[in-house]
Amino acid sequence: MNVTSNAEQLLTQVLAGEVWPPLADRHGFRVDPDGRAFLLPGMGGVTLDVHCGDPATGYAGDHVEPGLSVRHRDPAANYALQYLSCIGNTVTVNSGPGAGAEGFVIGQHAYVLVDMAEAQMRQVTTGDQVTVLAVGQGLALAGHPDVVVKNCSPRLLAALAGGTRADGRLEVHVAARIPAEAIGAGAGMASEYANTDLMGAYAGLGDDLSLGLEGLRVGDVVAMADQDHRYGRGYREGWLSIGVISTGSCQLFGHGPGPSTVMSGPASAFHVVDDADANIGVLAGQSAGAGQSAGAGR
Amino acid sequence: MSASAAATLVSVNLAAVIEQASVGADPYRIDADGAPYVPAGDGGIVLGLRLGDGVWEHVGDHAAPGACLTHSDPAAGYALSAQACIGNLVTVRTGAASGERGMVTGKRGEGGRVIATFAQPVLSQLRPGDQVAVRGRGQGAADLVPGVTLRNIDPDLLAHLPVEVSGGVVSAGVRAVVPSRVVGNGIGRPTPMWDLDLQLTPASAAGFGAAGLRLGDLVAITDVDARFNAGYRRGWISVGVVVHGGSPQPGHGPGVTVIFSGPGDAIVTHADAANHRGLREETVRGVTDGDR
Repeated sequence: MNVTSNAEQLLTQVLAGEVWPPLADRHGFRVDPDGRAFLLPGMGGVTLDVHCGDPATGYAGDHVEPGLSVRHRDPAANYALQYLSCIGNTVTVNSGPGAGAEGFVIGQHAYVLVDMAEAQMRQVTTGDQVTVLAVGQGLALAGHPDVVVKNCSPRLLAALAGGTRADGRLEVHVAARIPAEAIGAGAGMASEYANTDLMGAYAGLGDDLSLGLEGLRVGDVVAMADQDHRYGRGYREGWLSIGVISTGSCQLFGHGPGPSTVMSGPASAFHVVDDADANIGVLAGQSAGAGQSAGAGR
Repeated sequence: MSASAAATLVSVNLAAVIEQASVGADPYRIDADGAPYVPAGDGGIVLGLRLGDGVWEHVGDHAAPGACLTHSDPAAGYALSAQACIGNLVTVRTGAASGERGMVTGKRGEGGRVIATFAQPVLSQLRPGDQVAVRGRGQGAADLVPGVTLRNIDPDLLAHLPVEVSGGVVSAGVRAVVPSRVVGNGIGRPTPMWDLDLQLTPASAAGFGAAGLRLGDLVAITDVDARFNAGYRRGWISVGVVVHGGSPQPGHGPGVTVIFSGPGDAIVTHADAANHRGLREETVRGVTDGDR
């Protein structure tokens, strides 16, 4: 993105995490929109074969978390990990047969979610230690004081299309526009934690459940209408929040593929361009330092 | 799923305690505009707030009219919130108000909390930690009409609310009909254990005909199916009771405990912004003064 930022002022913290297991309770089943019970994989652990650019829906899964799902055992240290990890941050595997593998953060979902090459991901399992180089919180765009940036690494900012326009607005390219009706679980929560589940993307279920979002892909940059996510996720007419789809298919009602928020401001501060290629999969082909040294156009 | 029309409802005595309001180590929460505030009235015993008061009439955060009930064991707390229903009798068993009665008027999400309304003189004698019994009854009640699922209310209380069943259709008088997009915290959660916060403020409510929203009002939400988890379903309607007041937090606001949900062709709503009467203190007295 061609925009002036304070990226050179940001600090990087080295944070430890652990690939966290999928969790269940003794009853197992949950309930879909039509009241049918289901028991499906998706959250926690290592979810294979789903990467940025792949469809977000269409899996026999619930809350599909692509790649590694990472937490810290200590509650306060875990909050630091969840709040400070930003999309595009470099993650290294430190233990197990996958040690040395490198990936990047694609979002938060009460786990930090990490994408990496499939061959390397297959070597990683629950309990493996990882390190996140956390940088991004505090990122600000001097020319766009009404736009709050969060959960966005300088590396991601540099990789996004668009930037400051002649008319002063911030051009952002998005793969999909999300109506306020789609906002599901996650509303009312801190926007540095978990993500915003989108309803209306239940592929294969009734038309009355659809908001036309079944075509979302993992990693898509999306624009959420009437959402102000500066201080938590809330509805505010005339505002806009930009997010990155970090989780996929849900059968649980009121849930669905979810964007992690990266920007929020009055809609008038943005110029939104529909662009099917607006996906953070571009980060997969970069070396870790490239985006940071490119310095977000400064 | 709903029980068949022939099934008899089960009544249970649930133990609960009067909650103490609690906050984290940081006194501040952050409002939708980024300003810090100290939350008052969020849980526990709240005096001076009554059914029929405006949801933004007092300075508070999720303030409920009466006392919140909880249980020290989390699983027992979830059972309490799942099985307690609006209209259930609450009897105080210990403390200065021992023997006094109140009524369940709603419930709140996340921690498993039930809201009980007492007469103000009783409420002022309550202390956090006092033990109460809730006569849980209502979950599993038969559909009001085919396809309209009843939740979270003792069906006997419906006679005291502006709800009528005729010709296969449920008619409800409500304060306002609001669209699904204003539903915040609570969406995607199981409705027997969570309320739906309406993301309305004193400034925005007028645009939705809800400026006069009061505690105890009935409200209809369009395009929400709340039979199980609450979620978007085009053409459906969910009706509930306003159980707590507004909140400065983004994504939060006055809370609605859903009492029935169904397709739009089976539910007719009549909005009366000026003269609607929902759950009021008289309704509570009718239950607490009864012979149980």
